[in-house]
Amino acid sequence: MNPVLAEIYSTILPSAPYIVAAYALMWLVLLIYVVMIVRNLKKTEAQMSILEEQVAELRVRSK
Amino acid sequence: MSVVLKTPSTFQQYKTLLRKDLEQEFRTKEMLTSMGIYALLVLVVFGAALGQTTQALDLLQVSGGLLWTLIVFTSLLGLNRSFNHEKEQGCLEGILLVPLDRSVIFLAKATSNVLFLLAVEVITVPLFYFFFLTAVTPGESFWLLVLPLLVGTIGMAGIGTLLSTITVNTRGKDVMLAVLFVPIIFPLLFACASATTAIIVGAEGALDVFYPALLLAAGYDVIMLLLSWVLYDFVISA
Amino acid sequence: MANAKKSQALPEGGQWPDTIAFWATLAGAVLTTIGFLMAFFYAGPVNGATVDGLPEMIGGQMVSSKLLLSQKIFYFHMPVAIVSFAALAFAGYYSIRFLMTKNQRYDTCAKVAMEISLVFVICTMITGDLWTRFEWGVWWTWDPRLTTYLILMLIIIAYFVLRNFIDEPERRSVYSAVISIIALVDVPICLMITRMIPSSIHPVVLREGGMTGDMGMTVGVCMIGMILLGFGMYRLRFRQVRLAQRVQALKDELEEN
Repeated sequence: MNPVLAEIYSTILPSAPYIVAAYALMWLVLLIYVVMIVRNLKKTEAQMSILEEQVAELRVRSK
Repeated sequence: MSVVLKTPSTFQQYKTLLRKDLEQEFRTKEMLTSMGIYALLVLVVFGAALGQTTQALDLLQVSGGLLWTLIVFTSLLGLNRSFNHEKEQGCLEGILLVPLDRSVIFLAKATSNVLFLLAVEVITVPLFYFFFLTAVTPGESFWLLVLPLLVGTIGMAGIGTLLSTITVNTRGKDVMLAVLFVPIIFPLLFACASATTAIIVGAEGALDVFYPALLLAAGYDVIMLLLSWVLYDFVISA
Repeated sequence: MANAKKSQALPEGGQWPDTIAFWATLAGAVLTTIGFLMAFFYAGPVNGATVDGLPEMIGGQMVSSKLLLSQKIFYFHMPVAIVSFAALAFAGYYSIRFLMTKNQRYDTCAKVAMEISLVFVICTMITGDLWTRFEWGVWWTWDPRLTTYLILMLIIIAYFVLRNFIDEPERRSVYSAVISIIALVDVPICLMITRMIPSSIHPVVLREGGMTGDMGMTVGVCMIGMILLGFGMYRLRFRQVRLAQRVQALKDELEEN
């Protein structure tokens, strides 16, 4: 490769890890946040169904 | 003979509230002494840090920022205390029972905070000069330092009054005030520190840096004071 | 995030925004993926420092300066930052609504919007910081834009610290609403600071000579994608928080009986 062309492309390879890291970390942060929400959502839904069962039980008992 | 009931004017209410704060302070001198001693101690710590520098120019360039560090930490201490004794003695509830405009309380409290901070600065700034700036030659228009000090103090006292009213009702008040206060006053601090540094270094064209920075600080002051004034009603009634 | 247009209807999970939220998230994911691909394969490279020697012919164009791959970070950095500002603006809006109505629902909205803002602020910080590390060779510098943005992040963190430090719900919501309105003051400062202080070394698109059409298109696609993603995340989180609140309310009621 001729030296001028080499210099034109000189920053591309060294900067690649930073770009990859920037995109990867950004997606990771968003992904972690979404996973956290979904896990919480599942947990709350489970609690909701437990509560519903309790309410149904109470209703049976009070009759 | 008839009894004349007169509602005090807003200005009178303001004066009474302000006098109450000042009288309380002059009786005990708690806040002023603790702030003064604290400032002196911070100066001593700076001495340990700056004892390592040998170049006079470095000291000049650093001293503007150091002066503001000193002021920020001292005001944090004072602001923390300013609402503490109101809370301890149930004074705040008493004031809230009086049918007065809530923003008057804000103005009175902010004014008393400005006065306390200025009183402390009157002592600490000469001390700072004595300890650090006598060995070097600060710029000619050094006295202009008064302007950023005044603008900075007004802004800090205003924002600090709102924030200390908030934090006095939280757990871990002292930490909470610092956590809120430092980032929120940061733009003001930055502008004031750059204005002060320009004046102290006194290089060619220092005033071209000084006045825009001062203007920025004043603008931030105006916005923040108006905002604090409007929001204070909600905070103190909560 | 533009729910509660009618002042009567309180924002609640399962309203019309939730029906579009799924499709918005999907469209956001597709658009950001397209934007990602466009950034690398469609948008033209950006020229950096001039190279000594004769220009070279690359792909039918004469190139006489270094081609910068690091600029590709920009296509996501700016949209993410814009979303963080927008989320903060919504948090401020809901905080004002809260102070006007004293309805806890708006406090919940403000809190969730603030959370989204924090997530996107962190993303901006990560993308910006890695670019800074490569282009400026340092991990951090006290450039005015970086500083004001860091301050914004600290205020948002302080908002959550404050929430954790107060036990009474009414007081907590009033105080945090006040803080989020104050935080809003920093947004225009952060946006304008690169114009106000010309010594700022943070790149400004206009100062760098504007964008070519292909770059503008890429940024646009990424921007729309990110806004949709942010909206989808907001609705998802809001639904979850609301459900948790309802569960809590039910529990309290059961315990009373």
